[in-house]
Amino acid sequence: MSTEQTLAVETRDLACTYMSGATSVAALDGVTLTVRRGEFVAVMGPSGSGKSTLLNVIAGLERPTSGWVRVDGEDLAALDEAGLAGHRSKRVGMVFQAFNLLPRYRVVDNVALPLIFAGVPRAERTARARALLDRLGMSSRAEHRTNELSGGELQRAAIARALVGGPAILLADEPTGNLDSANGAALIALLDELNRGGQTVLLVTHDASIARHAGRIMHLRDGKVLD
Amino acid sequence: MRLGDLAAMSLGNYARSRLRSALTTAGVAIGTALVVLLIALATGAENNVRRSIFSIGDLRLVTVQPFQPGANGLSAVPRTIDDGVVSQFRKIGHVAGVYRQFDAPLGQVVEGGDDAAIRPQGIEPNAPIDRGDLLAGRHLALGDRGVAVIPGNIARLVAPNVTAAIGKLVTLRIGGAVRLGSTRVGGSGTPRDYPVTIVGVFDEAASQTSVRIPLEDALVAGADNRGLTADSLRQQTGYSGIAIEADDSTNVAEIVRSVQELGYSSFSLKQVVEQIDQGFGVFRGILAGIGGVALLVAAIGIANTMVMSVLERTREIGILKAVGAAPGDVRALFLAEAAYVGIVGGVLGLLLGYLGGQVIERIIRELNPRTNPAPIFVVGPDLVLGALGLAILVALVAGFLPARRAMRMSALSALRYE
Ligand SMILES: Nc1ncnc2c1ncn2[C@@H]1O[C@H](COP(=O)(O)OP(=O)(O)O)[C@@H](O)[C@H]1O
Ligand SMILES: [Mg+2]
Repeated sequence: MSTEQTLAVETRDLACTYMSGATSVAALDGVTLTVRRGEFVAVMGPSGSGKSTLLNVIAGLERPTSGWVRVDGEDLAALDEAGLAGHRSKRVGMVFQAFNLLPRYRVVDNVALPLIFAGVPRAERTARARALLDRLGMSSRAEHRTNELSGGELQRAAIARALVGGPAILLADEPTGNLDSANGAALIALLDELNRGGQTVLLVTHDASIARHAGRIMHLRDGKVLD
Repeated sequence: MRLGDLAAMSLGNYARSRLRSALTTAGVAIGTALVVLLIALATGAENNVRRSIFSIGDLRLVTVQPFQPGANGLSAVPRTIDDGVVSQFRKIGHVAGVYRQFDAPLGQVVEGGDDAAIRPQGIEPNAPIDRGDLLAGRHLALGDRGVAVIPGNIARLVAPNVTAAIGKLVTLRIGGAVRLGSTRVGGSGTPRDYPVTIVGVFDEAASQTSVRIPLEDALVAGADNRGLTADSLRQQTGYSGIAIEADDSTNVAEIVRSVQELGYSSFSLKQVVEQIDQGFGVFRGILAGIGGVALLVAAIGIANTMVMSVLERTREIGILKAVGAAPGDVRALFLAEAAYVGIVGGVLGLLLGYLGGQVIERIIRELNPRTNPAPIFVVGPDLVLGALGLAILVALVAGFLPARRAMRMSALSALRYE
C-alpha cells in the first residue's frame, strides 16, 4: 500500500505488438518500470525504440497487448473507453512534439479544454487556466490565438494544458523536437522547475543533452529497457 | 461534459464554417417549409369541409327513411315505418331518443294568399331537426294541438311583421292544388281547412315552405285527406321519417348497422364525416410525403456535410480525445451540431412555410375576391411542434452515422492525421 502511494507509474511486462501485414512489430517487449512520485525520469532511445508507445500506454491512448500498467494506483486494464478518457482528463497530462493546440480557440481556452470534459464549470476553468498561464509566464498571451504564438510559447501553452487538471504525472513526448536549441533549453528548464515544485515528469527524448536534466535516465531499445 | 458546454462548443462548430452550415440549414428550411405549407393547405381544406358539414347538422343523428335499401344500392323499395318498427328502434342500444315525423299533404296558409304554399311537417317537440333560428315566439311544446311554427316569409304575408304574427289565428288549407313558385302542383285529395294559432316564427333561411305542426295534428290531417282514421294511417302509411339520436356520436355506426338489419335505409352525417376524414388522411399523407422527400434530400445534405466535417476535423477529434473527451462526448458534439442544423433549419422553415402560405393566400384573394373567407392555410400548434420535431429528428438521424464515426476514431491515428 505504501509503495503504491509513492508510485506515480508502475508497469509490469508491458508488451505492445503491432501487426503490419504479415509481419508483427513489437513496439514494447516486456517493459517493467516504476516512476516514483516527484521523480523526473527521462526515457531515451533511438527512433523506433518504443518510447512514444510507452507514453501512449501510460496515457491510456493505447492498450498493451499484454502486461499491466498502474498510474497513481489505478489499473488501466480495468477502465473502459470512458474511464480512460477520465484518466486522461484527470490523472495524466500529455505534451506532444507537435503541440496539438486547437488554432481556433484562444490560448486560455486551449489550456482550459481538458477541464470541459472533467465537468468543471466555465468560470473555474478559466480561473485555473489563467493562474497556470501566469505561473508559466504566459499571462500576456492568454487572449491570443495560437497562430500568434512562437514555438516556445506554443509548447508552454501545451504544458499549461497538460497541467491544468492537476495530473499525477506529466508525460512529455519529445517536447523540444520542434523547438530551436534556445527554446528547447528554456523548456527543459521549465520542466526542471515544475519538478522541483513537486510535479512528477516522464520525459521521452532521443537527445542525451536533454535527458541529462532528468533525475534518472532509462534507456529503451527495440521495446526493451536496458540496464 | 456539461450540457451548457456541449451546447456552446457545438454552436461554435456550427457557426465556424458559415457557408457550409448556411447551405445545409437552407436545405432543411426548404424541406420543412414545404411540409408546413402542404400540411397547412390540407388542414385548411379539411377544416373548411368540416365546418360546412357541422353547419348542416348534428353528428349524433341517424335519419331513417321509409325505404328498404335496394339490391344494387340505387333502387330502394318503399317500406312502412309503423309504431311497431318505432318501438324496435327504441330498443337499439345507445339510442337516446327516437323522434317521429309525418309530413301532411301540401297546403296553403289561406290568409297569406297564393304565395303562402306550405309543406306541413308533423313533428314531436324537441325533435333534433334543423328548425332554423327563432325570430319570434317559441318552438312546439309537449301537448300542443292546433298550433303552428311558420317561416318568416309567410309570417310577413299574414301580419305586418313577425312579432305581430304571434298569437294570430290562421287557416291551414291542407290538400288540393297549390302553387309552388311558378308551377302549380296538383296535390292530393280534397282540401280541408284547419284553424291554427301561430306560436312561433323561424328564419326562412332554414326553409321558406316548412310549417311545423304537432305530429298528432299532421296525422289527423293526413288521415282526413285519405278518408282514414289516424290510427289506420299510422299502420298503413306509416311515418314519413324517424330521427334517431345516439347518446354519443361514436355509437352512430352501430345504430346505423342495427337500423339496416331491421331493413331500413338510413343516413348519418357522422358517416359522411368519417369518409371525408379518411379521404383527407390520404390527401394529407400524400402532401406530407412530397414535403418528406424534400426533407430527405436535406438529410442527405446534412449527412454529407457532417462526413466532410468529421474528416476535416480528424486531428481536432484526436486532440479532444487525448485531453480527456470521452467517446460519448465526441458523439454528442457532432450530434448537437447536427441538431443545430435541424433547429435553425426547422425554425426558418416554419417561418418560411407560414409566411409563404400567407403570401399565397393574399395573392389568391387578390385574384379572386369571392374566395371562401375561411383561411386556406391553417398552421396549428400540432403542425408547429411536429414540423420542428421532424426537422430536428431528420437532422439527428442524418448526423448519427458521421457522429458515430467520429466517436469511434482512434485518438492516436487521428493525431497522426494530416
Ligand atoms: N500504430 C502503429 N502501427 C504499426 N506500427 C507501429 C504503430 N505505432 C508504432 N509502430 C511501430 O512501433 C515501433 C515503435 O514506435 P514508437 O513507439 O513510435 O517509437 P519511438 O517513439 O521511440 O520513435 C516502431 O517500429 C513503429 O514503426
Ligand atoms: Mg516517438
